[in-house]
Amino acid sequence: MNGPVHTIAVIVVRDGVLPLGADETVAEAGGEALLVGTGVKEAAGELVSLRNGRLAENGLFAPGRWARQLAAVLSRTERILLPSSPDGRDLAPRLAAGLGRPLLPGAIRVTGDGAELARWDDRACVRLAVDGPFVATLRPGARGAAPAGEPAVLTELALPEPDGTPDVTVLEVLDPEPGTVDLAEAPRIFGAGAGLGHGELDGPAVVGLLGRVASVVGASVGATRVVTDAGWTGYQRQIGTTGVVVKPELYVAFGISGAAQHIGGLGAPAHVVSINIDPSCPMTAMADLGIVADAQAVLLELARMLEVRS
Amino acid sequence: MLVAAALRWSDQRASVDPLTGEVRTDARTSGASAADRAALEHALRLAEAFGGRCLAVTVGPPAAEEMLREALAAGAHEVLRIEGPEPGRTVGEDGHDTARLLAAGLPARPDIVVCGDRSADRGTGGTPAFLAHELGACQALGLLELSVEDGRLRALRRLDGGRRERLAVSLPAVCSVEPAGTLLRRAPLPAVLAARRAEVPAVAPVDAASGHGPDGVVRPYRPRPRALPAPAGAEPHQRLLALTGALVERTPPKVLRPPTPAEAARELLDYLRERGYLS
Amino acid sequence: MTHAGPGSKSVVLGEDELTATAATPVFDVVVVGAGPAGSAAALEAARAGLSVALVERGPFPGAKNVYGGVVYGRVLDELIPRWWERMPVQRWVTRRSTMVMTPSQALTVDFRTEDWGRPPYNGATAFRADLDGWLAEQAVEAGAVLVTSTVVTGLLKDASGAVAGVRTDRPDGDLRARVVIACDGVNSFLAKEAGMFPDEHQAEHLTLGVKQTLALPRETLEERFAISGRDGVDIEMLGCTRGIPGGGFLYTNLESISLGVVLGLTGVREAKTRPEEILAELKRHPAIAPLIRGGEQIEYSAHLIPEGGYRSMPELAGDGILIAGDAAAMCLAAGIWLEGVNFALGAGMYAGRAAAAAIGAGDTSRRGLAGYRKMLESSFVLADHRRLRDFPGLVLSDRMQRNYPGLVCDLVQGMFQVDNPRPKPGLRRLLRRSAKDNGVRLRDLVRDTWTGMRGLR
Ligand SMILES: Cc1cc2nc3c(=O)[nH]c(=O)nc-3n(C[C@H](O)[C@H](O)[C@H](O)COP(=O)(O)OP(=O)(O)OC[C@H]3O[C@@H](n4cnc5c(N)ncnc54)[C@H](O)[C@@H]3O)c2cc1C
Ligand SMILES: Cc1cc2nc3c(=O)[nH]c(=O)nc-3n(C[C@H](O)[C@H](O)[C@H](O)COP(=O)(O)OP(=O)(O)OC[C@H]3O[C@@H](n4cnc5c(N)ncnc54)[C@H](O)[C@@H]3O)c2cc1C
Ligand SMILES: Nc1ncnc2c1ncn2[C@@H]1O[C@H](COP(=O)(O)O)[C@@H](O)[C@H]1O
Repeated sequence: MNGPVHTIAVIVVRDGVLPLGADETVAEAGGEALLVGTGVKEAAGELVSLRNGRLAENGLFAPGRWARQLAAVLSRTERILLPSSPDGRDLAPRLAAGLGRPLLPGAIRVTGDGAELARWDDRACVRLAVDGPFVATLRPGARGAAPAGEPAVLTELALPEPDGTPDVTVLEVLDPEPGTVDLAEAPRIFGAGAGLGHGELDGPAVVGLLGRVASVVGASVGATRVVTDAGWTGYQRQIGTTGVVVKPELYVAFGISGAAQHIGGLGAPAHVVSINIDPSCPMTAMADLGIVADAQAVLLELARMLEVRS
Repeated sequence: MLVAAALRWSDQRASVDPLTGEVRTDARTSGASAADRAALEHALRLAEAFGGRCLAVTVGPPAAEEMLREALAAGAHEVLRIEGPEPGRTVGEDGHDTARLLAAGLPARPDIVVCGDRSADRGTGGTPAFLAHELGACQALGLLELSVEDGRLRALRRLDGGRRERLAVSLPAVCSVEPAGTLLRRAPLPAVLAARRAEVPAVAPVDAASGHGPDGVVRPYRPRPRALPAPAGAEPHQRLLALTGALVERTPPKVLRPPTPAEAARELLDYLRERGYLS
Repeated sequence: MTHAGPGSKSVVLGEDELTATAATPVFDVVVVGAGPAGSAAALEAARAGLSVALVERGPFPGAKNVYGGVVYGRVLDELIPRWWERMPVQRWVTRRSTMVMTPSQALTVDFRTEDWGRPPYNGATAFRADLDGWLAEQAVEAGAVLVTSTVVTGLLKDASGAVAGVRTDRPDGDLRARVVIACDGVNSFLAKEAGMFPDEHQAEHLTLGVKQTLALPRETLEERFAISGRDGVDIEMLGCTRGIPGGGFLYTNLESISLGVVLGLTGVREAKTRPEEILAELKRHPAIAPLIRGGEQIEYSAHLIPEGGYRSMPELAGDGILIAGDAAAMCLAAGIWLEGVNFALGAGMYAGRAAAAAIGAGDTSRRGLAGYRKMLESSFVLADHRRLRDFPGLVLSDRMQRNYPGLVCDLVQGMFQVDNPRPKPGLRRLLRRSAKDNGVRLRDLVRDTWTGMRGLR
């Protein structure tokens, strides 16, 4: 590497596809980034906030081995930032452990002497100061990213040979399931949140009904993580930073609080309706129409009016 | 074959003061998260499939014994509590100390450790990766499925954007699972009664924690302002207008409190009709 | 194994199953429900050296239990000496008010005494999750086994029909017992299952309690209610339920207020309003609104209360089974009284003792368990209920609910209103006028006063 930098973003690239939050992480690192994986050059072209990119083609993702390789070239870089996407979450701790420094996981901001980390499901925030170098992961959707303006300077970087650190073997990468693809492309989405579960219908039944009502309007069903975790519908319907990123025109949220990780995958719908008993929840705050009501009761009424069997 | 389930004892219903950020926790609503309960279920299934033993382990205070008793009742062969700081208090810590304590406190290196994909308080999912580092094991994190095929461990891991990858996991391994679709089995009554009287062994590994995990001030969460791409427009004042959206037509947000669900449904249908989503 | 009949959840055990197979755990006593009644029963039975299982459906005792918030601890003197030093108390009630109100008026009788603020104390406000948890802990320390997250779904019976244990919703979930003590709360499934209720008209004897807990800073609260330290206030209200039989209550906790209404179930149904609306109306009442202003709602809950009193109680003892607390309708919910926890504690304690005595004597039949009723009769539990047996009817009568509050308030307003240059009206004329305006016949007034006096005698 040509001279150590103070801060750098490490971005794991798979087949030229950037992880969620890549641009924001690079922006937070002042435009300095190391792209590692497959198709890194192609991916670098997509990063609007990139000023200075080092490109390391390194084959299939292997967090144990990669951490050793990267530690060898990053030991003099004070701050290493990764997006907290699935690969970032997996690589960052290994890198921190390999370099013998603390990890500041789930940051919403990197500060002069550390970071602000979201905790307790984004309800609280801890400000951590460390003296010395650290590794941090940044929450996608937390900061946004502006273009760097000038074209980025790209240099190839050769990482040292991987050693024998054990890692899993990737058998195959599966494309999104039809449900996920449909959802990602869907122009209209009805979203199911935890608040939909209060009432006579149980979770799976109420999400089923939501689907039938949505189809009258030509909409697909999405859900929050609370809903998919509870098994009311498949994980492929989860919208958000760890789920599907969607870009609908219409979003109708049933009993959804509007956590950052959910909104983070929602795009910018032209029309948003939120049905929630809490008029001041973030979902209602960002809606055009907020309806303060019991979500399940409203859904049952919709089903009745649209003559959908419940 | 030893399969360990790592369970974090934390309040699943903690309240956070929106003004001060003060977190109030209660031992009565504390226990394993849905993800950790799913981890235990997977660990029990793996132990059955490999004909091995299942150990439920936690780094936590004496109050966490209750959670381990539940694990015993559900079928864990043994449990272990590793003395550690009370989770929640040190939620600033990065998980490495927890992993060190786990590695130092375990009686033997487990062949498989199953964790939850993230805890309720810290919520970053870093602990299992640190644990893989400490144990020299390979890691497979954020799994949607974990199973045994022909005597080998197979996993389905969630990637970005709805993609997934199918993994062959060699042992020793640390896995973390999402709770989706995996429910912990219900403990039989005789096992519950037996677990009530069971001794929960505890160990306190010396000098395992490095202590370099920083601790910080807790505040309420406030989203930070987001950087936006600079708007197009030749004149500064045009750019300003574009940025503030001052001249963009936009219906003001409307919050309705309909008296009945039927009224609410009608409002929603009217909205959809007005905007052409419904004829 | 055969089922006991259509619709029944009881299971009749065969001969072989009764000769205690190793798989089914056997206890001397199985107590169902870890509310105040259940924990007191388990505590007393465990103290007598019996093996006791205390089965609770919630994840921890008190998880879902609801009540207004005042416990009268006197009964604990016998159960847990110097209980006041250890019980998780919010405040000691040293000020008790009764408020009679119409939508725009309120007459308050306000009483305050320092005596209730020092040992041995009188009433205390406490949270149910704290109180129930503490009581269950006492039982566990005495040796009872607490089993949570477990629902009792039926009774086990032997060939003669005597209760021989319970069935739960867990795998291998049968528990055998010499005596089952049903403390499963209002609308007791177990008492019904054991055939202890004489009639089917339970709904008439049920009221619905809805309650909100509103958080306020401690200083604000103490200033508003003119209290300090651990002193607390208990306000009972009459006439705030739009004529639906019932009443309201307000209690102070350390940093919150419990505010609620208690409404007759049939009345709610007939009035076609929702209980939340009545409570919302109470919150807007000019006498209440200033007390709760700025309070942030931290809890909302609803629960049934048995208010039929003495006349609606089921049989209390059967072969191998005892019923205690709300399960036996031992709750006094009549306007100015809202007591249930103390009766539940007392009944549970006696049930535990009676079970121990019966097991000691080797006779757990209805006859062997008859000591339970005798103990209750000679204690406050049934004595109070017998004395006040006509009270629920009176307090919940139409006149008391719809007419008297207006009468009393108009009377007082007439007395204190200065209508110069008109001379002050005489009291008799005022009374006649207020009675007429509020549709009360003086004859009824006299009769009701008499019933009330007799109840209080
Ligand atoms: C690392 C990480 C990644 C995450 N990734 C994602 C992700 O990709 N996608 C995602 O969705 N989440 C994600 N989460 C979880 C996220 O933080 C929130 O917990 C989740 O989005 C909340 O879902 P919810 O709105 O359904 O539930 P809650 O936050 O529990 O909200 C329920 C809402 O329903 C309302 N309500 C309650 N009762 C009723 C009723 N009767 N009628 C109407 N409304 C009612 C409540 O007022 C509340 O607003 C992630 C979290 C972490 C830590
Ligand atoms: C709104 C309201 C206000 C009140 N205010 C007061 C007051 O201020 N002071 C006062 O003294 N009393 C008050 N009461 C009455 C008081 O709450 C009850 O009388 C008292 O709780 C009775 O105690 P218990 O143990 O009999 O029943 P509960 O407290 O109802 O306990 C029953 C227990 O059994 C469990 N259970 C039920 N069924 C099963 C099953 N099948 N398997 C396993 N477990 C089961 C329940 O989970 C519960 O824990 C009030 C009640 C209400 C509703
Ligand atoms: N104190 C602990 N004891 C045991 N396991 C833990 C502990 N903390 C975290 N874990 C495991 O690590 C997972 C991820 O936690 P975290 O890294 O805090 O998000 C949890 O779901 C647990 O399985």
